[in-house]
Amino acid sequence: MLLNVNATRMELLRLRKRLSLARRGHKLLKDKRDELMRQLLEVIDRVKELRFSIEKEFQSILERFVLAKAAMGPYQVEQELLLPVKKISVSISKRNIISVRVPVYAKEVSGDIIPYGYMNTSGEMDIALNDFDKFIDNLLDLAEKEKAVQLMATEIEETRRRVNVLEYKLIPSIIETIRFITMKLDETERSNVVRLMKVIDIVRSH
Amino acid sequence: MVTRIAAFGESDIMLIFKAVGIDVFPVTAGIEEISEAEKKLRQLAGEGYGIIFMTETIAIKLDQIIKEYSNKLLPSIVVIPGLGKRNNYAIRNLRRAITKAVGADVMAEEKLGANK
Repeated sequence: MLLNVNATRMELLRLRKRLSLARRGHKLLKDKRDELMRQLLEVIDRVKELRFSIEKEFQSILERFVLAKAAMGPYQVEQELLLPVKKISVSISKRNIISVRVPVYAKEVSGDIIPYGYMNTSGEMDIALNDFDKFIDNLLDLAEKEKAVQLMATEIEETRRRVNVLEYKLIPSIIETIRFITMKLDETERSNVVRLMKVIDIVRSH
Repeated sequence: MVTRIAAFGESDIMLIFKAVGIDVFPVTAGIEEISEAEKKLRQLAGEGYGIIFMTETIAIKLDQIIKEYSNKLLPSIVVIPGLGKRNNYAIRNLRRAITKAVGADVMAEEKLGANK
């Protein structure tokens, strides 16, 4: 599609500059997209494996916990776990993957997982809780990786759109406009020459 | 930046999260309660919880909000399986993200490849 510009020499020079800029931008964005894609594909497999193994393990822990809870009676369990001693928080820092900022979690814990005395509780409960305590690390790891995948996917989509706009829309239309202006200028040039020749003819015939 | 962790889901499962010191918010997946859960989730995200765990049954009802937050740095919403029937919400979500990025379903292709 032709850009809406005047067919002048100034405009031609300006367009040539824009074309080279657009080409450079296109190349950079394309590189960015390819690299992001490579990184994403690398991470995907690991995330998928992690997800499957975590889901399996979590369910088995959960089942054990629920069984232990059933054995002890729900009220008893609620009472024992009413005031947890353990405190957990995460400190978040950012990592930069080709201008995509992804979070990195570091866990900060204090206190022990078992908040109750061993008098009224069953051993299964302790085991389930201890397992879950170890398991938390995996969950945080998964949280970090899944977020990274989400963020990278969004960024790739955006970059891909930009690359496509440049490649299939902006650059072709600039090229077309440049051609249009050159032809227009050539045409003016030719008509000028013809007019001059005509003038010379008229002048000579006198 | 230090943030806390929240967990969202059926009260049965929430107890185990409570034991490790995660802030728990028991909700149920009923039709009326879900709008409550929605409000609560937005509030938690606004309060700056960094990681929010959520069970599948709840997640599938709050799909819209999860999508909304998936493009933001915080919070990171992690969907975990609950008790009972699975619906594979997390895997589907992952696949959706990848399809969006690559323009093709990479995970499905792998499955096809594995079957050959």
